[in-house]
Amino acid sequence: MVSPILLIAVPLGLAFAIPVLGLASKRVPRYVPVIAMLFNLVVSVSLLPHALKAPIVVRTAGWAPPYSIHLVAGPLGVLLSSLIALIGLLVAVYGIDYIREGAKVKYQILYILMLVGATGVVLTGDIFNLFVFFEVLCISSYALVAYRGDSTGVEAGAKYLIQGAIGSGLVLIGIGLVYGTFGTLTMADIAANVSSVGSFRLFVSLAFLITGFGVEAAIFPLNGWLPDAHSSAPSSISAILSGIAIKAGLYAIARVVYTVYGASSILPFLAVLGIVTLLIGEMCAFGQEDIKRLLAFSSIGQMGLILFALALASATGISGAVFLIVSHGLAKALLFLASGYMIYRTGSRDISSLNGIGKRMPIMSLCFTVGAFSLIGLPPFVGFASKFTIVRAVLGTGSTFFITLLAIGLIGTVIEGAYFLRIVQGFYFKPAPEDSPEQTEGKVPFSALVPVGLLAVLILTIGLFPGIVGRVLGPAADDLLDRTAYVQHVMGD
Amino acid sequence: MSPQAILITAFAGAGLVFLAGKVHSHLRDFLAVLSSLALVGLIAWSHGQYGPDNEIVYVPDFLGMELALRLNPLAWFFAIYIAIINAASVVFSLSYMKGKEKLGFYYSMMLLVNAGMLGIVLSGDFLSFYIFWEIMSWSTYLLISYRRGPALHAGMKYIIMSLVGSCAMLVGILSLYAQFGTLQIAELGEAIAGSSSGYVLFILMAMGIAFGVKFAILPLHTWMPDAHSEAVSPFSAVLSGVLVRMGMYGFLLVMYSIVGLKTILNLGAGFFNFHYILSWLGAITIVIPTFIALLQNDAKKLLAWHGIGQGGYMILGMAFGTSLGVAGGIFHTINHGSYIALLFLVVGAVEYRTGGVRDLNRLGGLIQRMPVAFFGCLVGIMGLIGMPLTNGFVSKWFIYKTLITEGHPFLAFMAFVGTWGTILSVYKLLHNMFLGQLPEKYKEVRKAPISMQIPILFFCFVIFLFGVLPGIPLRAIQGIQDTMGFAPLQLTMWGLASGAGALNMLNICFAIVIAFAVVLLLMRLGAKPRRVPQEDSYAAGSSVPAGKYHHSVEFYNPLYQMISPYLKDRVDQFYYWAADKAQGVFELTRRIYTGYAGTYVLYIISFLALLIFLQLAWEIW
Repeated sequence: MVSPILLIAVPLGLAFAIPVLGLASKRVPRYVPVIAMLFNLVVSVSLLPHALKAPIVVRTAGWAPPYSIHLVAGPLGVLLSSLIALIGLLVAVYGIDYIREGAKVKYQILYILMLVGATGVVLTGDIFNLFVFFEVLCISSYALVAYRGDSTGVEAGAKYLIQGAIGSGLVLIGIGLVYGTFGTLTMADIAANVSSVGSFRLFVSLAFLITGFGVEAAIFPLNGWLPDAHSSAPSSISAILSGIAIKAGLYAIARVVYTVYGASSILPFLAVLGIVTLLIGEMCAFGQEDIKRLLAFSSIGQMGLILFALALASATGISGAVFLIVSHGLAKALLFLASGYMIYRTGSRDISSLNGIGKRMPIMSLCFTVGAFSLIGLPPFVGFASKFTIVRAVLGTGSTFFITLLAIGLIGTVIEGAYFLRIVQGFYFKPAPEDSPEQTEGKVPFSALVPVGLLAVLILTIGLFPGIVGRVLGPAADDLLDRTAYVQHVMGD
Repeated sequence: MSPQAILITAFAGAGLVFLAGKVHSHLRDFLAVLSSLALVGLIAWSHGQYGPDNEIVYVPDFLGMELALRLNPLAWFFAIYIAIINAASVVFSLSYMKGKEKLGFYYSMMLLVNAGMLGIVLSGDFLSFYIFWEIMSWSTYLLISYRRGPALHAGMKYIIMSLVGSCAMLVGILSLYAQFGTLQIAELGEAIAGSSSGYVLFILMAMGIAFGVKFAILPLHTWMPDAHSEAVSPFSAVLSGVLVRMGMYGFLLVMYSIVGLKTILNLGAGFFNFHYILSWLGAITIVIPTFIALLQNDAKKLLAWHGIGQGGYMILGMAFGTSLGVAGGIFHTINHGSYIALLFLVVGAVEYRTGGVRDLNRLGGLIQRMPVAFFGCLVGIMGLIGMPLTNGFVSKWFIYKTLITEGHPFLAFMAFVGTWGTILSVYKLLHNMFLGQLPEKYKEVRKAPISMQIPILFFCFVIFLFGVLPGIPLRAIQGIQDTMGFAPLQLTMWGLASGAGALNMLNICFAIVIAFAVVLLLMRLGAKPRRVPQEDSYAAGSSVPAGKYHHSVEFYNPLYQMISPYLKDRVDQFYYWAADKAQGVFELTRRIYTGYAGTYVLYIISFLALLIFLQLAWEIW
């Protein structure tokens, strides 16, 4: 068995090797992220069977927890790191030709760093490293949002930076409070001692952590940065931000609330918050004229649904949430990647300018349609299986409170259906605008068709055979729910 | 033939036709016709092969649930009905769609809709049912949008209402799962027996919204007039003939196969009985849409409104839960499928030959130009009205009889009123297309191509066949009713042998033939008729120059002015109003995202403050 630490160390090493490699050949750097992510994918997937048996705890420098920095690669963590590596790999392939101008070498470095940050967040076992990896993720995404260097990009990046920095600050304060209380940063150790401390003091630290991570997790009302950042970033970065980065924030919240604090009594509050986020995201997405802004708002909506499902506190609910993380990651990455070349082709981000694109870019449009159908939750695509699991979990709880929230939340699905299907109609059944420029640079290279096509195939395949992911979901849910087992695994006997 | 093989053929056909469309157009057309006919053959062959052999678990573990298929009398009956109407429409499409774009897409979607519907009726559990239901819904949406222009709006309206229905159904299905731990239809029937009536009502409501949207029961009907009139005509035939009736299948399945006859009849008390309310909804669904149909000048809109109205008869028959009523409801479903499909195809043929005209004020006099289409239209409207010798007569007879013997004169009266409205409006359809003077521009119209004539004549044949020998389908319906626990009817090949509503179509047939012979004889004895050209017509005693006066413009104008103020589709207006208001709210919501970083920081801090406030005030943790 390879050590999970390689998932962080190898890409990190490769990232810093890029400038050196860049001296040797100008063409090499663009392939480095592909190699790094391919490595991560292989390692993550090979770790999965081991993690399913028992979480893999990696100790560094020979110290046992709670004194060491350590990784805890449980089923949830490894599943998410596989997802990160998979989407990271596909987007890296896409980026080979998509990124044409600007500081290409820096792009590749930041790209790897961003993914390393996300991987670290889902694998780490101590709360301070959670913060560190979180910062790695956030800071590289601030830079990447502004990558193009145009005014909107820089403005969006700056806004993101301001809000993200405040979020990080709050997280840091929260961690400080925790450390002051318990004198330890190991999540398992805190979890073991949490019940011994008076509640209000602890709650303040929890509030700081939720708010801080909530900024990255795009929970309403903390998500003001998202529409600007996701829409102004290059499409490949938008795909990562929407497909992975915000999920890392949500993972952090779930880990803190479930494992560290065991604060199950605030879950109804989070469920309400989730439904509010869902509705607001979908309502805002409905009227958008800009395709990327629309996708960004749709991400907010989906994050709300994931949060709602996480807050159900049942094994099925969390399975559904994790499943939705996977299905939304695939679909949203697909949608951003496909729209990237559509925007190149038409030279505009207006949805109306994409009318009739189905004829000019048949494969991209078909894949986009698959992604959109999956997001709405139409069978036989993967989105259906995940939304189905969530609805099943809600009705399984039998609580009127959650069923009412679900009924409200389903309105969001209808709105989502309305705007996505309108776009699909435009692709195929509306005439192309007359002044649309036939830009040759929009010709889709092979390096873009492959990842987009693969994502569509994955969406369909997992939709038809949800068992592929389904087997991991149960253990992943237990990973979050079962605190005592987590503590035991990490702290040992 | 196992249900699995049927479904594999159906889905593979859809996929292959799409690929064949990339290769060659003839191959594509050939495959489309072949696979739709093969399905008819396969299903016909599997007749009677019910039982445990054909209950197949095809996916043992889909998210922890079993997906199963099964073949039983109900499934077979609906399957053959779906496959036949679809095959006829595909054959009709050959010339109707010739030269249009994206035909590979068109044919494969036709077959996909077909496959989805077959999947619905062959499903042995509700998860499969839901999956196929959704596949049918989205492929229908794509196919409605295919025509572009106003069809885009119709498609959106359809899919949004359909999504609302699907959400309701999903909640209903998963509530069953949460309650009983299974979604197998056979097991649910036993499990639900002991539930409280409140819970049963909840399930019926949740499912009823989904089925009601598809079925277009008032007030969930508003998508249908737009969708049916904007879709291409062969698909309108499928849409109105079978797709809408998936709602009927759903109602039958949930009401009688699962909940069971006894529970349904005892649901609620007195006036607020479930089946009583459902039958009133059915009656309203007959009357209002039928008269709205009268006001239409678009031939397809007219038929679409009739599609809604005729659905009311089916509900009315089905809601009462008597053997006669349910048999009438099911029989009316396939009868309606045969003649409404026929009428849509006729309108499609006229549209095809006149260059896309379906405005009834601009047509007329085509009887000699398109004799087969005229004959089809005549037979179709005879069926729609329910004239003796056509199948519509028999099923309506059953339904009327049920209403009268069950003691519901008001409902029976509403059903009769609906028939009067039907007579008036379909005569308008026949007259304005085929009778009266032939406008100058249609002088050169040719008769419909052979691939259109075949389906038209086929449906005419079916209408008469089931009208004179209703025993053929009624036997199959009897098989369905046996599985649901209804008392058997005294069937003969000609109708009903005894009991309430005894009917012998053979006698009626003889009587009509004799009456015809007498009339013919009298005409022969009278003065010799003189043949005149079609333009040779008179008004107020003087001859009308050709082209000066067109008989078929503003038909029923005085009646129109009288009734139109009462027949606004207020439900539709309400939905538009609600959608408009909702969009206003969406716009307001967007203002939350001001674009100023300062505001956003304020949000973050306020959120933190809120959390702490909540804790201080209510101790949430």
